[in-house]
Amino acid sequence: MRRRLGFGVWLAAGWIGLVLLAALLADFLPFARYDETLAGPPQSGPSAAHPFGTDGLGRDVLSRVVYGARVSLGVGLGAVLLGLGVGAPLGILAGYRRRATDAVIMAVNDVAQAFPALVFALAVVAFAGANLRNVLIVLGVLGVPSWVRLIRGATLSFAEREFVLAARVLGTRDRRILWREILPNVAVPAASYAFIGMAVVVVAEGSLAFLGLSVQAPTPTWGGLINEGRTLMETAPHVVLAPSVVMFLTVLSFNLVGDRLRALTDVREIGLEPVRAPAALPLPTPTHPVRDTLLQVEELRTHFVTPRGVVKAVDGVSFTLDRGRTLAIVGESGSGKSMLIRSVLGLLPGTSIRGGHVYLSGDDLTAYGPAEMRPVLGRRLGTVFQDPMTALNPVRTIGTQVMEPLRVHLRMSRRQARAEAVELLASVGIPDPVRMLRRYPHQLSGGMRQRVTIAMALSCRPDVLFADEPTTALDVTIQAQVLRLLHRLRAERDMAVVLVSHDLSVVAQWADEVIVMYAGKVVERGPAAEVFARPRMPYTESLLQAAPRLTDPVHHRLRVIPGRPPDLAHLPAGCAFHARCPYARERCELEPPPLSEDHHHPYACWYPRPGTTAEQDVRTTGADSRGR
Amino acid sequence: MAGSGTAHLRPDDEVLLRVEDLVVEFPAGRGRTVRAVSGVSFDLARGETLGIVGESGCGKSSAARALVQLPPPRSGSVRLDGLELTALRGEALRRTRRRLQMIFQDPISSLNPRRRVRDIVGEGPRVWQLPGDRVDEVLEAVGLDPATAAERRPHEFSGGQCQRISIARALILDPEVVICDEPVSALDVSVQAQILGLLEDLKDRYRLTLVFIAHDLAVVKNVSDRILVMYLGKVCELAPSADLISRPAHPYTRALIASIPGGGGLDLPPADTLISGEPPSPVDPPSGCRFRTRCPRAAPRCATEEPHIRQVGDDHWLACHFPVKE
Repeated sequence: MRRRLGFGVWLAAGWIGLVLLAALLADFLPFARYDETLAGPPQSGPSAAHPFGTDGLGRDVLSRVVYGARVSLGVGLGAVLLGLGVGAPLGILAGYRRRATDAVIMAVNDVAQAFPALVFALAVVAFAGANLRNVLIVLGVLGVPSWVRLIRGATLSFAEREFVLAARVLGTRDRRILWREILPNVAVPAASYAFIGMAVVVVAEGSLAFLGLSVQAPTPTWGGLINEGRTLMETAPHVVLAPSVVMFLTVLSFNLVGDRLRALTDVREIGLEPVRAPAALPLPTPTHPVRDTLLQVEELRTHFVTPRGVVKAVDGVSFTLDRGRTLAIVGESGSGKSMLIRSVLGLLPGTSIRGGHVYLSGDDLTAYGPAEMRPVLGRRLGTVFQDPMTALNPVRTIGTQVMEPLRVHLRMSRRQARAEAVELLASVGIPDPVRMLRRYPHQLSGGMRQRVTIAMALSCRPDVLFADEPTTALDVTIQAQVLRLLHRLRAERDMAVVLVSHDLSVVAQWADEVIVMYAGKVVERGPAAEVFARPRMPYTESLLQAAPRLTDPVHHRLRVIPGRPPDLAHLPAGCAFHARCPYARERCELEPPPLSEDHHHPYACWYPRPGTTAEQDVRTTGADSRGR
Repeated sequence: MAGSGTAHLRPDDEVLLRVEDLVVEFPAGRGRTVRAVSGVSFDLARGETLGIVGESGCGKSSAARALVQLPPPRSGSVRLDGLELTALRGEALRRTRRRLQMIFQDPISSLNPRRRVRDIVGEGPRVWQLPGDRVDEVLEAVGLDPATAAERRPHEFSGGQCQRISIARALILDPEVVICDEPVSALDVSVQAQILGLLEDLKDRYRLTLVFIAHDLAVVKNVSDRILVMYLGKVCELAPSADLISRPAHPYTRALIASIPGGGGLDLPPADTLISGEPPSPVDPPSGCRFRTRCPRAAPRCATEEPHIRQVGDDHWLACHFPVKE
């Protein structure tokens, strides 16, 4: 897929091209030479013969600006190439060799960078003589430290990547690794910086010229032209305006192109990139009764309009959840399980379209605006996410972060909040909670951090706790501790838990009910023990048989689900799973199966499995012994 | 757990890869040292799959990288078919690289985003100036269609497909040993099953010897002939896979199994009675047995004396003063 550069960048690139072309072809362009005096009446304004007017000596300003571009762009290009030529090899060497080489190069570089650049340039040019060569060399050399720094940083970030390690394992020689693996990746940031460097040098050269320390008259340069026109500001402003505007546009264009190139450095693309907000037309929902339950989700849908089509991330999900129960949502990445939670919480990008209803104790949350939602989130709905580090602010202490919701939502005094925070931290099994208040997130282990985020989520005694892969980033022994903790807290606080997980054995052990998602839809739902013991939907069955179990014999062949999950923007007709399903028949390709009417254990399949028992026995032992 | 000692190593003529007293250390700043691997020994017979299992920080990945000498270990010996790799430098070391290949955890980061699949997979033969073009053959062997895949770049593939490309890149050199460092932990269950099955097929087809490193005991058991359990840079237990899971003798192995929901069919006590607290820092590991700070069976002796590896059953090895006897 081609990335969009945007109209402004094309305009900027066009301007750069125009100035460059004019400078190259100046001798062939139909205007007077830059030094031809009295080509027209002196100090006359723009006219057909002289589009930019003439200066005090009657010279054509357009011609002088175009010839001036030769010096400005020539110095820019030369200086950037010089800086790149010297800086890039040094930067690559420092970034790839590391250790002593790096230390020496960077020490020298830091000293060089500490020089006041423009003063240095002025001194050298004043001393060595103001001509094109000297200006180019001085500006080029001054750019070297920045080049070294940039190239070293880019090299470092790629030298650490596993593909470089892989190349070394293959036996590739260093030179070839630099050439084949690292250089192509460093080239993009370098190109981007070259444009920004051009802008810097053009301005620097302009400044020198303005002070009369660049190429000498009569050769025109942009800075020199501005300096000359300065005295005529009152009588003939066009003389100073023309070079100023051209220089301004050129510098702006270089910066624009450079910035845009840098934004493109990231090669990977996010598949789900919402581009524009469609008319906020809520998707229609069929009428339904509002039940007497803690959480009721009715036909929830979240769609994104992308250049590839409408991505149906969540497509008609319904469930209910009571206090003291744990509902697990399982599925593979891209099945919509995390998006479902975010839809329930209303934490979606502004470009999504949401449909359906979410009732919390009978209140329709989908009717709430952001301001009304704020007191609900945190107070009535708590959240715990996969990576505790992203949920915690790295520069604030654990104490302030745990106390914040207490003070904001519950309006506790500092003393009350502190006492409550200590109690919360103790309740999630953190040893020495008083000392913990003064510590920072980076001082804790992953398991401890996750306990802190759980304490924060529980601080306002929420009715429902949403835990999105809460233990995926943790070690297995820590994972068991955290899950046991969640289970205990659920009972103590009489709340409901929504647990999102890709790990079926975790779900089997800790959940009461389970929802299996595939391609944004619920394909099976029911009591956890029953769904795992007697899956009806073939997808659930294959997921269970694809996961290795400790009780399987060594070298046991796992069931392989062929193919890949479907593209959510182009779902196949019929059942979304039919292409990967060994039991699919003609009907599966034509008609999408609805979720069956069975309220106890519904499934979406035309040809459901009979519900084998023998193979899944082990799974259910977990669910039965959930007291662990 | 201490696990020093080499009693469990087999005679040289029976093994393809022999690792003895491997020590890997990194500077941790302020003059301190991370002891990532502290005297680990193991060996692999030709055609065998050795699983290495342990939690983050146990040194399993550091050990893997020390095997390919990237970076070389601080001390210890790595012998491939009698050839001492740690003694080699520069060109001599480079020439052994073909025989030892590696597959990494992050399928995306393992592939250069700016190169085409054909160049990525064909890099090995080009470096070694091997005759003939086997790219299509290995791509087919890993289940990719060369006609559509070879000219594309990595970002056009899913995680599982990227891992297939990494495997193809390693296989094209006909290595003797392939080290798989968490090759499936970034993948979904269904894709994980595909890659595990693929590794088993390729192992037969190309007569590979595998070191399979993972944190998931069930995954390791699925592919390994023998399993080595590591904790904080030391060896805890080494046994044939089925034996290790059905008769775990080391307290840490038992805690690992009990932490897995379902408990592996064993009637183990709850995990929280088998292990407590958090792993200590590898910068300042406990004296004696490194597991003693979390071990319910720890006694004074564990703090003073490091247990040595000894045999407790048929090819079942253990480093613990007070193992669990059934």
